[in-house]
Amino acid sequence: MASTVKYVRVPPNSVSLEEARRRVFEFFKTACRSIPTIMEIYNIDDVVTPTQLRAIVASEIRKNAHITNPKVIDMLLFKGTEELSNIVEHAKQRHHILGQYVLGRPEITPDTGTKDQGSEYLKNFFRSNYF
Amino acid sequence: MASFTASSVSLSSAFCSFKQSQASNLRKASVSFSGKSFPSHRLPLPRFRVSCAAKPETVNKVVEIVKKQLALPDDREVCGDSKFQVLGADSLDTVEIVMGLEEEFGICVEEESAQSITTVQEAADLIEELLEKK
Repeated sequence: MASTVKYVRVPPNSVSLEEARRRVFEFFKTACRSIPTIMEIYNIDDVVTPTQLRAIVASEIRKNAHITNPKVIDMLLFKGTEELSNIVEHAKQRHHILGQYVLGRPEITPDTGTKDQGSEYLKNFFRSNYF
Repeated sequence: MASFTASSVSLSSAFCSFKQSQASNLRKASVSFSGKSFPSHRLPLPRFRVSCAAKPETVNKVVEIVKKQLALPDDREVCGDSKFQVLGADSLDTVEIVMGLEEEFGICVEEESAQSITTVQEAADLIEELLEKK
């Protein structure tokens, strides 16, 4: 494979935001290139397509798009790399992958008719703790 | 365009290319330029770098992938010169589009080349270049 997850050691801190950006893109490319392996290891070919997985990875990265401190970005990248290497070396199982990344996303698994949740208050309650 | 593909016949005749149409184009070109390029020999032909030589079907495929990635409506005009920024893609979207193209065409885009892609046409040209290098 072109770029396997080869570093779990900590590279020196990024000097600038630009270098951190470059590292983020590197990480994203590594993740995308390991998607076929992941699909084969966990047999998720019938649940998601590689395109959807790519979109999922991108949305996870985008969740932290507002961060500007290069050190924080490095830390997040480290956690991301650790997670990716755990997944690739089969330290997780199929239900972990599906539960954490696939289910619950409206584009991929549309809600199959949510049961009647009652009042607006209850709906907010089910969604999160803080409202 | 024909000379461009003919120069790559001698080098890529041994490979079976992905798109059958591309293979048939190459075969047609070799017939017309039989005096210049023999598929069995490797003649050092001058390589013609024509910059706007990306095939229309490559550009169309790129456009399709871009539209799907950025969730653009079908009537939105996307041509060779549209920049990704103008279409509403941020840098992560650009990388994702490049990844999608990598998967679609089975190529491997290098770091530096990936940074310089800003328009659809550039992406199509890069794909052509990588496909003929294979």
